[in-house]
Amino acid sequence: VIQLAHGLVARSDLPIPEWLFGWAAAMVLVVSFVALAVLWPDPRLQQEGWRPLPRGLGRALAARPMEIICGAIGVFLLGAVVYTGFRGTQSSTANFAPTFIYVIFWLALVPASVLLGDVFKAFNPWRAVGRTVGWVARGAARGELPAPLAYPRWLGHWPAAAGIFAFAAMELVASNGDRPEDLAIATLIYSALTFVAMALYGVETWTQRGEAFSVYFNLFSRLSPIETRDGVVGYRKPLSGLPALKVLPGTVPLLAVMIGSVTFDGASEAPLWTGIAPDISQFFQDLGLAPRRALELAFLLGLSAAILLVYGFYRLGVAGARSVGGGFSTGRLAGAFVHTLVPIALAYVAAHYLTLLLFQGQSIAFLASDPLGDGADLFGTADTQIDYGVIGANATWYWQVGLVVAGHATALTLAHDRALAIYDDARLAVRSQYWMLAVMVGFTSLALWLLSQANV
Amino acid sequence: MSRNQRIALVVGALVVAVVAFLIAQPGGDDEDDGSERAAQTAPRQSEARTTGETTETEAEAEPAPPKPKITHIRLRSGTVVGGVKRAQATTGDTVRILVTSDAPDELHLHGYDIYENAAPGKPARFLFRADIEGVFELESHVAEDAGRDPLIGRVVVEPA
Repeated sequence: VIQLAHGLVARSDLPIPEWLFGWAAAMVLVVSFVALAVLWPDPRLQQEGWRPLPRGLGRALAARPMEIICGAIGVFLLGAVVYTGFRGTQSSTANFAPTFIYVIFWLALVPASVLLGDVFKAFNPWRAVGRTVGWVARGAARGELPAPLAYPRWLGHWPAAAGIFAFAAMELVASNGDRPEDLAIATLIYSALTFVAMALYGVETWTQRGEAFSVYFNLFSRLSPIETRDGVVGYRKPLSGLPALKVLPGTVPLLAVMIGSVTFDGASEAPLWTGIAPDISQFFQDLGLAPRRALELAFLLGLSAAILLVYGFYRLGVAGARSVGGGFSTGRLAGAFVHTLVPIALAYVAAHYLTLLLFQGQSIAFLASDPLGDGADLFGTADTQIDYGVIGANATWYWQVGLVVAGHATALTLAHDRALAIYDDARLAVRSQYWMLAVMVGFTSLALWLLSQANV
Repeated sequence: MSRNQRIALVVGALVVAVVAFLIAQPGGDDEDDGSERAAQTAPRQSEARTTGETTETEAEAEPAPPKPKITHIRLRSGTVVGGVKRAQATTGDTVRILVTSDAPDELHLHGYDIYENAAPGKPARFLFRADIEGVFELESHVAEDAGRDPLIGRVVVEPA
């Protein structure tokens, strides 16, 4: 099988050993039992209780000059990606753009969001440009601009789901997905689409609902106790940010794309997939496609199948929860519990990409010094190398399993709290939770199974 | 949920934990893992010595380490004879890989970042200490440039 779009990966993880797999699975069950036993009898997380950071610190951190500086950094980095993509070497590991996009932007921002809140919102280059253009235009028009179009309700989070799917397809399906020039072109296309949508629907509206990366990182930032509101940085009860998520059309598919794409990335190294991929690819070749296109199509099919599988499994659990009674529609229940998938999505990303972030992330030190791969040494770090000793295989395994189990426990907690809030009858709430518990155990077992599979 | 039910669930969780410990842990480090590893190492050692039944711990205790096994990869008209090869090692081992090719080629071991050239009659030799754990790909740059699957082998380094 031709390796697609993994040009950045120089090293892959060893599969977690069987005994640890067994241990982890048992831990998941133990956590679930304990959770059911000790969780609180009244909802606790449905109110956020947000408070500003003390002594004006909250206001200072989100003040206008800070906004401008962060926005400018974001715009500069966007420009740097496009410039290095076009002008630099086309070797994916020696060019700044691929590692910056796939590791620093796509991966490092996830833990940053979970720890520090919605940092991407501050650095979002498209939002910064959109707001600046709006400000300049208002000045030129000497007054208010015509109001943007009303954002259609049915559109909801669908553009974000489509955007994350496209990104995943570029990373996992496209054979040239790590080629700097193609990444620069994709960045330009995405920027153009974003600016058009912002012009139509307004900068803030599009950022909150349609812009894929804003929505993606915002979801993870809801796990953070830190949140910025109306220009003030404050803190809230841990885990209280997710129940406040506004569920829109497309939110459930978005989460399915997030979990499904990581699932596929893991499964595409598993014998299950490497066994059938050549056959699917051969089938498309027989239909007259070029080998490379046929393989891409096979991978696109695999990616879509993984997403549909995740989506279907969640809907199945929801249908089960509905069957216990309470008079809710499946759609209403699916929306009511979708925020519980966010910690699961985080566990998938964290466990699967932990070492890629820790190892490949280091290469940004020499790539920043030599962004075009032409021998420059801007910061004197061009000769640094990746230290593969920062984390060994054993530590990696324990972190991976720990993160998966922690994500599982968080999801259970959130689901339990939401069930108490929406069901009048506490007994119905508990019975509906057996179904959600089954869904969570299913997702967690899948995550562990993926960690135990690798191309060895 | 009543108090008794809660207690029952916690007790149930404890039982699962204890059972898991009994099943997984003792075998985890000694029997299961050891026999598994012995099973993996047996084929490579059986060529050298027929007493391949010795367990891992005994093998480690021997003062003279076994000669590093050589993984042999043959490239013929751009493909690997017998499919992608796998070199298994434990941290600290010396890994030796020999690549013979019927055409000039540049071979790259990722992660360890070792480049070696091969030519007809002049095989590429990789000799290094396995000090980074993980799975590393060995690729042919000629195949890569030609748009073919560059993967010819994998080096698997497991923790000691």
